[in-house]
Amino acid sequence: MKTRSAIFCLGMVAILGMFAVANPAHAQDKLIKIGGLFPMSGPGAYFGAQDKQGIELAIEQFNKTGVNGYKLEVKFEDSACSPLPATQAAKRLLEQYKPLVVVGEECSDATLAIMPVMEQAKVPLLNAGSSSIKITDPGNPWTFRIMPNEVMQGVDIATHAYKRLNAGTAVLLYENTNAGIGNAKVFGDTFKSLGGQILADIGFGRDVNDFTSIATRITGLGKVDVIPTYTLEGQGLRITQALAQAGVTKGGGGQSIQLGTIWLPFGFEQKAGKASLGYVRIVQFDPTDKREVVQDFIRTFKAKYNQDPTHINAHAFDQILLIADVVRRGATDAQSVRDIMAGTKNFSGVTGSVEFDKTNQNIKMDTIHYMETLPDLSWKALGWN
Amino acid sequence: MSTVILQQGINGVVLGSLYVLVALGLTLIYGVLVQINFAHADVVTIGAFAAYFFTFTFGGNYLASIAVALLVGAILGWLVNAAIFAPLRERGSELLPLIATIGVSVLLQNVMLLWFGPIPYAFDSPYSNQVIRLWGGTFITGQNLIIIAVSTLTIALLYAFMKFTFMGKALRAVAQDRETAGLMGINPNHLIMLTFVIASALAGMGGAMLGPILVLTPFAGTTVIVKAFAIVIIGGFGNVEGTIIAGLLVGLIESYTTQFVNPGLIDIVVFTLLLMMLAFRPTGLIAEKREENV
Repeated sequence: MKTRSAIFCLGMVAILGMFAVANPAHAQDKLIKIGGLFPMSGPGAYFGAQDKQGIELAIEQFNKTGVNGYKLEVKFEDSACSPLPATQAAKRLLEQYKPLVVVGEECSDATLAIMPVMEQAKVPLLNAGSSSIKITDPGNPWTFRIMPNEVMQGVDIATHAYKRLNAGTAVLLYENTNAGIGNAKVFGDTFKSLGGQILADIGFGRDVNDFTSIATRITGLGKVDVIPTYTLEGQGLRITQALAQAGVTKGGGGQSIQLGTIWLPFGFEQKAGKASLGYVRIVQFDPTDKREVVQDFIRTFKAKYNQDPTHINAHAFDQILLIADVVRRGATDAQSVRDIMAGTKNFSGVTGSVEFDKTNQNIKMDTIHYMETLPDLSWKALGWN
Repeated sequence: MSTVILQQGINGVVLGSLYVLVALGLTLIYGVLVQINFAHADVVTIGAFAAYFFTFTFGGNYLASIAVALLVGAILGWLVNAAIFAPLRERGSELLPLIATIGVSVLLQNVMLLWFGPIPYAFDSPYSNQVIRLWGGTFITGQNLIIIAVSTLTIALLYAFMKFTFMGKALRAVAQDRETAGLMGINPNHLIMLTFVIASALAGMGGAMLGPILVLTPFAGTTVIVKAFAIVIIGGFGNVEGTIIAGLLVGLIESYTTQFVNPGLIDIVVFTLLLMMLAFRPTGLIAEKREENV
């Protein structure tokens, strides 16, 4: 009886062993584990929902053939766009899932909070949506950013406002966060250095709901040419509507042009309605871009989700595209992912191209695309970069 | 400049009216049960979503959606009290129902997140873009006019209910002394249920009117509730008249802080006032014995 049991056990072990060999995707050493830290709850949750779509699409595509014999796998944690939950989520992810690379967060405060955790664990963090300069200046060797930082964005948008829109006066509107304050400061400093005048500098908390009072204050400031606005989508919608109701912006019959950031997703104009008329903002992804990588992305995204992709979908997709490229170039562990990623040059993604400087900041400006809202709530690409 | 100051006064009254609607429910529950209801914010959010779906998915009238939200709030209040709070109160602990309100809040938020998703909804009432020009260059939107009108009517009806109806008097009796009221033939449990229903109905209705102003996500109510708690404390725990005055006061403080200081300092100003009230006038703006509050 004992002999028969032993033979049975040996047989089972042999079968399981053969099964493991026949399914290399399940072998631990042929899997690139990617951690995803994104806001899935709270006011920034729309980022997480769209990031997840872009990442899952990219992974599905790469896993059809594999990359250098590796499959990609992702595990998401809710980092809630806020430092404390982001830190907790990062630690949980590192301890339990043990990823080789982590993508995220979107909000600068959260990204800044998780950076030291990732550095300590020696796991690279690839960021695509946080703009605070502090992320890469001074930054740390384990954090990479593929989007232009607040200085690159702020200088660019202030220069275009002054030179292309002939703006002489501006009011700064921003949420009181690292990214909000930093973006507004860079815009203000650049605009003033060019000869423009900042009429008011208005910061507010994320708990502010009614922006009628802020719009009223702006009506008393005289002629305001541009209103650079740094907020998440929800507050951004209400600000745009309040400014139009008060007759400040073009959408309400006024003269001011609102300037926006990549924080706002596509579809913002449809939600804000006529109030968004004449709104000029930067996005990370231009769907009219004829490059094959862009058109392929749009086609496959529509096929999978039955909707048009947003620039948040696009920059999330690009994060996986870049990781796959790094794996293709020979990365097999966290250290080699970091080292090979640092040497990235001439990478071409959906949002634009990537080349990291010595602080791991992408230096390419073709990831900034300017759009203007038209009367029918569609937008046109301004082609300023 | 005088136009801007006047306009900020109008803005403050509108904002204050909204805060009053949310805070009244909180103060009613506290007045009767001496219980803080952390789930109140989520009833506001559900009211906003009820109005949104009634208007945009079912093509209903926005004004009718306010009544729908009121009804949804009332039903939710009844359900939550019957299923969770009442059984916990029967165990005799004051702490259990308080903790349960936090649990209900988290539960409701996550159920809404599951059903409605995290992306903000664009809830515009047909009156949001109707700008009515007033004297001296000031204006008010149709939506804000509705907010002031509905808030005033609601406050008047609630006041009349509490002062002149048998049920209102019974509610005040339960607030003063639950056991003695019971000896007089009043069923305190029915009155507590009524309190939850009225408070949640007010929250639901508040949500329908806040919807076109709030950033409508499953977490929308939480941005208002902290202010509402402050108003309840400034007005005097459980004091309806104090809550109304405090709500309007906070609305005006917010508007004028935005105008003359910075909106980023609103919370500092409001919560400094709250701390001063706690330190120097803990009974609230209208000093009464707690037993007589409701």
